[in-house]
Amino acid sequence: METTALNAVVDAVDIETYLLCSDAKQGHALALQIGREMNLGEVDVMFEEFDGYGVRLRLRKYVHRPAQRYRWLEQEAP
Amino acid sequence: MKRILCVPLDPVHDVGIKIIRRKLADRGHHTELLPPDLPMEEVVRLAATQPYDFILVSRTLGYGVAELLSRFNDLLDAAGVRDTAKIVLGGKPITPELAAELGFDHGFGEHSSLEEIFAYIEERPVTVAAGDTRGPKPSITAPYSYEFRHARIGALLETIADRTLAWAEHKSSPGVQRARLRERILAEPDGGGRARLTAEYHTLCEPVIADGNRDGRFPKGVRRITDTELTRLRGLLDAKRPLHPSRIRHTGERPLLFKFLGSGCPTMDLLHGKVCERYGIDGFLIINPSWEARYEGLLHGLLTHENDGTITSLENIRLLRELLHPSTLLTVRGHRGLNTPETVLLAAHAGADLTKINLVYGSLGAGTDPERLTVDGLEAMRIAGRHGMGFDIPGNDELSGVPAYKSLAGQLINVMLGKRLGAKAILKPLFCYGPHIVLNGQMERNYVDYNAAKVRALRAVADVPVWPGEPIAFMTQTEERVQSANATSYHAALAASAGVDAITIASTDEAFSRGPITIASRIDSIRAVTDAYRFMGDASFAPTAQADRFTEEMVRDIERTLEAVAAQPSLPHAINAGLLGSREDGAYPGTFGKGSVTA
Repeated sequence: METTALNAVVDAVDIETYLLCSDAKQGHALALQIGREMNLGEVDVMFEEFDGYGVRLRLRKYVHRPAQRYRWLEQEAP
Repeated sequence: MKRILCVPLDPVHDVGIKIIRRKLADRGHHTELLPPDLPMEEVVRLAATQPYDFILVSRTLGYGVAELLSRFNDLLDAAGVRDTAKIVLGGKPITPELAAELGFDHGFGEHSSLEEIFAYIEERPVTVAAGDTRGPKPSITAPYSYEFRHARIGALLETIADRTLAWAEHKSSPGVQRARLRERILAEPDGGGRARLTAEYHTLCEPVIADGNRDGRFPKGVRRITDTELTRLRGLLDAKRPLHPSRIRHTGERPLLFKFLGSGCPTMDLLHGKVCERYGIDGFLIINPSWEARYEGLLHGLLTHENDGTITSLENIRLLRELLHPSTLLTVRGHRGLNTPETVLLAAHAGADLTKINLVYGSLGAGTDPERLTVDGLEAMRIAGRHGMGFDIPGNDELSGVPAYKSLAGQLINVMLGKRLGAKAILKPLFCYGPHIVLNGQMERNYVDYNAAKVRALRAVADVPVWPGEPIAFMTQTEERVQSANATSYHAALAASAGVDAITIASTDEAFSRGPITIASRIDSIRAVTDAYRFMGDASFAPTAQADRFTEEMVRDIERTLEAVAAQPSLPHAINAGLLGSREDGAYPGTFGKGSVTA
């Protein structure tokens, strides 16, 4: 089992950021695009708030969901 | 007595070293404190004037500081100071390892205890385990008499209990029968006898449960935990130890702090639980999957599940009990669905401390037929009583739109029934912005008065522990992380001000419904509460005079509700009549198990 940072993530990676955009629709599209550009694939948009300038975001990518094979258990166990 | 020179080698931050200097002086050491931000050469000159035993240097880290500290050490060497003195570095981000890298004899940081510093200076072992904050297991119910202070309400509850117990006498259900069979299975020493009783047990189960237990054909998303997974989990938890365990309460021993565990997977739950223990959580509530409540019978074995809710098998609860800290309290939800008495029995046998029973909410908010849940719930209370296990009464029927006074009246009925059957109850008013409150405006001015009034009303009625939940701040939290953490911390501070016994706190992703709760979000909310408790200390919120008016109204409305319930032949009659939550309120009597009660 290769030791990688993503393998060590217990459950999910949250991304919190602020994106400049023209409206809420564009903000949402950019939010989803971030996950792909970061090689995380599809991310969940947990929170988004467009304020006229940009969008405040909380995004989540689940790495290990319950009952899956936990790679952290394989690489961490003594 | 040691000779110690304290050196704030920092232009601004010298508070920490001043505190340590005073504490060392109190212990009889000779201490001297230099002014902050002296030139290094001057510090070295002063340090060389006397044979100090220790030079304590305080410095925050930043760009170029490592080089500065390294040069400082070289100057001390050249001046001969290090021939007699040990040079110690302190500061918020400092660790012993970092201090050694920078050439110091030792280092202390934000996680170091004063005892560790004293022990080093006095050249002795640490006598108190640094940061070991977990004491013996606390009892929530022990300090209470369970006497009713409000005589009229007490009398009404006696009447309701008399009638309900008389109605339930000689009634049974598949849930009661399975619990009794399961008790015999657990006590049966002979393998053949156990197999015979288990086969009989399966005749009382729905096929999906019996098939899973017999052939491993489990409901979708359920599988056994493998031996390899279990071995690795034990190895992982055995190899790791909590570093610098923290304490949530700044003063006092209450409220105890609980979190839900119910990811679906005991392995995931345990890792989350161990981390939460490190951050000071006192206990957990195991939450089962919603489908488990709808089937007759329970699955057996160490099982994991892909969706919300951890399966409450005997083996799963035992594993959680075994691997969580011995002082950690464990509650198992029993009041939903068709397996209440058996769940309570398994919780008791697995070593859980508490269970969760609410005959009213379980019949309204979770879909079980009121007659069935009353028969099952009374048996569950008897089992809890026999095993000395308390039960908490969640007031989450408020989330359906039931007014607080009806929810509290229902909880008080459970308290009296538990008292009659030997089980000690814990009241759980919801700290929430529930639909009835939104519609009627009780929280338009603030969230404090109405929540405080719930606790005051219950205290005015009975001498019973109070544990707001579930979790606190329900319907005030959003998916935004800081807002969610703040909402939890304010409600936690209010709960502490109200002098309650325990609270259940959410995570900062509680309002996010499209995935499981994460460990980082759990830590967020715990840290927020810890900070709120540090801020509040032994001070408290002051509700306005409106809280007194709310309290009076609530006690009066509880009494009025119980008058109506007491006029009914039994509790199920009252629930079906909508007296503890009506269709207009948004509460509907459940139908699971309807017609399954037998004489």
